[in-house]
Amino acid sequence: MKSSLNSRYDIDGLEISRLARVALWSKFVPMGNFHGGPGGRCLAVLILLHYLGYPMYLLLARYGHRLHLLRRIAAKFRT
Amino acid sequence: MEVTTYYSLTSMVEAGRRKACDKEVISFDLFDTLLVRRIHDPDLVKLPVARYIAELAKQQGRHWHWQKVQERRDHIEQKHRAETAIQFADHEACYPLFMRELLLEIFQSSYDDVLLEKVTDYELTMENSMLVPRQILVEWIKELAGAGKRIFIISDMYLPATHLRQLLKYAGLNEFVEEVISSADTFLAKASGKAYPMIAEKYSLSPRAWMHIGDNPISDGMRAGEAGIDAMIIHDPGEQQRKSIVKRYYNYSDGRPFWRGRVLQQLMAPLEAENQLNSALYSEGYNFLGPLIGVFIQQVARFCKENEITKIFFLSREGWTFKRYWEKAMPSLYPAGGLPEIEYLYVSRMALAGASCAHQGLTKANADITFLPPGNRDFRDVCRIFSLEPEAFICHLTKFGLQADTCLSHVHDGYVPKNRKNFDAMLEDDSFQDEVKRQTGEQSLAMQQYFAQAGLFDHKHIALVDIGWLGTIQRFLFEAIAHRADCPTCFGLLFGATRGIPYPESDKNIIKGIMYDRNRFDLAASTLSYAQDIFEEACRAPHPTLNGYRLTKEGFELEFRQTNDAIGKAELEQDGYFMPLQQGIIDSAERFAAAAALLGYYFEDWKPWLNYLLVTKLAFPRTKEVANIRHRHHLDDFHGSKKPKSDFGKGLVPLWSQSQLRLKFNPFLRMRCFFSHLRRRINE
Repeated sequence: MKSSLNSRYDIDGLEISRLARVALWSKFVPMGNFHGGPGGRCLAVLILLHYLGYPMYLLLARYGHRLHLLRRIAAKFRT
Repeated sequence: MEVTTYYSLTSMVEAGRRKACDKEVISFDLFDTLLVRRIHDPDLVKLPVARYIAELAKQQGRHWHWQKVQERRDHIEQKHRAETAIQFADHEACYPLFMRELLLEIFQSSYDDVLLEKVTDYELTMENSMLVPRQILVEWIKELAGAGKRIFIISDMYLPATHLRQLLKYAGLNEFVEEVISSADTFLAKASGKAYPMIAEKYSLSPRAWMHIGDNPISDGMRAGEAGIDAMIIHDPGEQQRKSIVKRYYNYSDGRPFWRGRVLQQLMAPLEAENQLNSALYSEGYNFLGPLIGVFIQQVARFCKENEITKIFFLSREGWTFKRYWEKAMPSLYPAGGLPEIEYLYVSRMALAGASCAHQGLTKANADITFLPPGNRDFRDVCRIFSLEPEAFICHLTKFGLQADTCLSHVHDGYVPKNRKNFDAMLEDDSFQDEVKRQTGEQSLAMQQYFAQAGLFDHKHIALVDIGWLGTIQRFLFEAIAHRADCPTCFGLLFGATRGIPYPESDKNIIKGIMYDRNRFDLAASTLSYAQDIFEEACRAPHPTLNGYRLTKEGFELEFRQTNDAIGKAELEQDGYFMPLQQGIIDSAERFAAAAALLGYYFEDWKPWLNYLLVTKLAFPRTKEVANIRHRHHLDDFHGSKKPKSDFGKGLVPLWSQSQLRLKFNPFLRMRCFFSHLRRRINE
């Protein structure tokens, strides 16, 4: 017995880790047309969000306000 | 007054229970507190509504692109907000007012209130499909109402309270809530804090005895505190994580088509109380087969609209699931209608094979089909498939030096090529064909009566929707009705067309595979052939197969296969085993439709993800998945039961027929099977 969506908000049987493995294999073995595939950066961000999203957002919710100064500095660098 | 922020719903409800003891009134914010959205951006729900309005306009000959409709809606809504801001502190808008103005602008003289009602209904349906009640809060509200507390729902939203009531219905909360208050009705919102004193006065509430729960630290927290109300703010990192994930999938899908299918599945995923513990088969139905069938059905609808097909016949028995899926998905996918009629048609290869001979006789191509399955060996198998009595052909067989048991298949021992040539010569014999036509005539008449009753001859263009694979059902069906003047143009739409034998296509008899068609090279989709039987069993109707059509005094009768023999019982057992799988498929239909309507994508957009889905689940499945999804029994009356030569079919055992042990411990098994599959596809 299991639920169709797990606690990491990942789809049962189609987890992001499985996707990453197949995406890696598809670099070496012709597996069909994935139209460019998932993309390394997108995969990395999504793996991070699925596996570490909760603690990350918990920290941000509790202490995020202390990062205002850092955010302002980062914004200056961006512009 | 006190404003406290909580970082988990459980801790908030625990604290709320303690605080609620000395409160008389508990009010809740609606969106993102009591109801959460599947999608990260609530404005995305407006897009399918814009498409719906554009489609309605098109039906009236008014050409409005949906993006222009959306742009005008945003503009009018902004204008209304600006006008409200002149008199009130809040910049609020009221849905019926601005939507009416938009529809008047688009439909002009043909506007009426029924139109507004239709659009509003669809908007609420879409909103509803994207909203999920938070289970823990629902339970708490029921508890509070049971304890005699007055429950209010307060929302800053453009939908008036009457509309919000409809959304609450889905959560099953209407009966526990005393009043729903929306800023759209009064233009006094929580954001400015003006809503709180107005509500207190109107419902005679004392702020001291009032507790408010919401997610916005300003409008639900600070403003409530300023009005003397205790406020509890929920800041749920789990929800932030979920929305952040959806947002990434959605944004990535814009530039990378691969993610379009994934965002669809993320939006379809069950949340909160919907996400119950179920058997692994249910998940396979919901997460794997459901989206595949959804995309297939969506493409069938699109094809039918483009080709002016006026009726779809879902062919038994797999069409049963397709039809059910269609019925659940279409109201959200095509709210403006304009879809063909649908009907479930009782057919089978065995039932149609005989009827197809009544006018054209037994053709060589059809006779050859008999010997495709290795279980068929001789003329008796031909007779079994085409509903013929072998005894009546003894003189014809003798004339050509054959017997009913003469081996005619090269995969069986005792095969002599000369016998097959004699058999082909017999097919050219007029007296043989006359006997074939005589024996199959009644069955053909009964079949035509049934088809006429089903309305098959009332349309110029019809679609025949089936699972696949060779297209033999459509081949026999078309041949059985081709002689009629009112024979419609038949568009066969198969889930997968593995073909194998050339299909006799013509202007009136067209067939194509949607998810896979062997006529176009598609390596990923070709993995369907790994487990064709599983798709058949997953979609199969819970009724026995059709054996034939029989003429009666009243007209005709459908003859079904008996269910009390070993094969019938095995099929019933299989039905029971796959019940959760089928339930998962059907449960996914409405959520697929809502998500697909919201995203506005079509088959070609989903295709990269579907390719991944098929390759992963069929060519590289987990051992447990094979164990779960592999069917227990599969009936195929078309395949005979005779044993071919001992060396026939020796080679690599198909992946889905491998033992659990080999699947688990042979690390190269899947790759070996895949390369073998790849070689076969390239050599085709």
